[in-house]
Amino acid sequence: MAESVPASLILDAYKEIFREARGGRPSEPLGWVLSVPDTHQKSVLAALDKERALRTLTCATEDEANAIAAGLWIGGEPCILMIQHAGLYASINTLRGVAIDGKVPIFYMIGLLQRERDKDPRDSRHSMVRWCEPLLDTFGVPHARLEGPDDVPLIAKYFKLSRERRGPAAVLVGLETM
Amino acid sequence: MKRGDDPKRAAEPVTAMKPEELLKLIAGARGDAICVPTMTTAPEWRDIAPDDLSISCVGFMGGASSLGLGLALANPKRRVVVFDGDGSLLMQLGSLATIAGAGPRNLTHLLFKNGVYHTSGAQNIPGGFDVDFVLMAKGAGYRTAYAIHEIDEFKRRLPSLFRDEGPLFVELHTGLADKTPMTARGGTPFPDQVDHLRKKLTG
Repeated sequence: MAESVPASLILDAYKEIFREARGGRPSEPLGWVLSVPDTHQKSVLAALDKERALRTLTCATEDEANAIAAGLWIGGEPCILMIQHAGLYASINTLRGVAIDGKVPIFYMIGLLQRERDKDPRDSRHSMVRWCEPLLDTFGVPHARLEGPDDVPLIAKYFKLSRERRGPAAVLVGLETM
Repeated sequence: MKRGDDPKRAAEPVTAMKPEELLKLIAGARGDAICVPTMTTAPEWRDIAPDDLSISCVGFMGGASSLGLGLALANPKRRVVVFDGDGSLLMQLGSLATIAGAGPRNLTHLLFKNGVYHTSGAQNIPGGFDVDFVLMAKGAGYRTAYAIHEIDEFKRRLPSLFRDEGPLFVELHTGLADKTPMTARGGTPFPDQVDHLRKKLTG
């Protein structure tokens, strides 16, 4: 059964990812979080508001977030995108153009709003939840499920995978973070 | 309907500036600024400024301004200049608010306004030439926003485009470019441009 993940664990993972991406060099900010507000990850977004080491930029659309991420990466700045599944659907052409065809590594944390605790997302009653993984599969985007605190190391793993593959990679946030 | 017959085009200045002339002037004044051309400015810019600190985005569906924002945030000590189009900006109009919210002091957002989707056959953009992007940029919260209609004014203001604190928005009233990405294909593939620019910026 899926469990909620505390925001503090996710933020700690982000910081460690950014430290490693910078080779341990000190930096202000340590890294960037580009978000289009997501109900499912709102506790993380609230915690980010109080976080001084990370800079959060709220974007009007996921399309923008993808292009901003490309600019940051070209300039040597690490970043993570936090979006919801509806935003993935809305921006899939930009993901294709920038992260896949453009070979820009972009890592996504995608909230699965309305995912049922006791159901596999692929069996969800809600199409937004049910088609998310098949959509990522169609575009060849590697993805993992964040189904509880034990899965938090997957965030770093898939961030690194996006860099190694020079493309997109995603972690799907199964239940609302706390 | 031919371009000149459309009543919505009535607001277009009789002496619209030539985009090629503007780009040549920018190239001469930019110094080490990163430039982000999109759509009809891209073919001419790659001839004027090959192999430099530029990245062209064609097929980005309006993403040039956001790409420029990312570059500006990553390189706060270097000026970033976006050569946007009016049709392109309409595709990601929210980027005006996102840019204003981020407040990059080193970002200059130039809008080459011609009133049409030139690359796809010069269909009018919604609202045609009458759409007031300066008002939108001001409303979004850009530090400064204004329009330039004539080449002499552009020459006079040119140094300030690289000096004034951003985010700075300038609507340039232009005619149509001689080339589009459809009539002048080619150029360096985007992934190679990414590698090239990243190497230059990060060493």
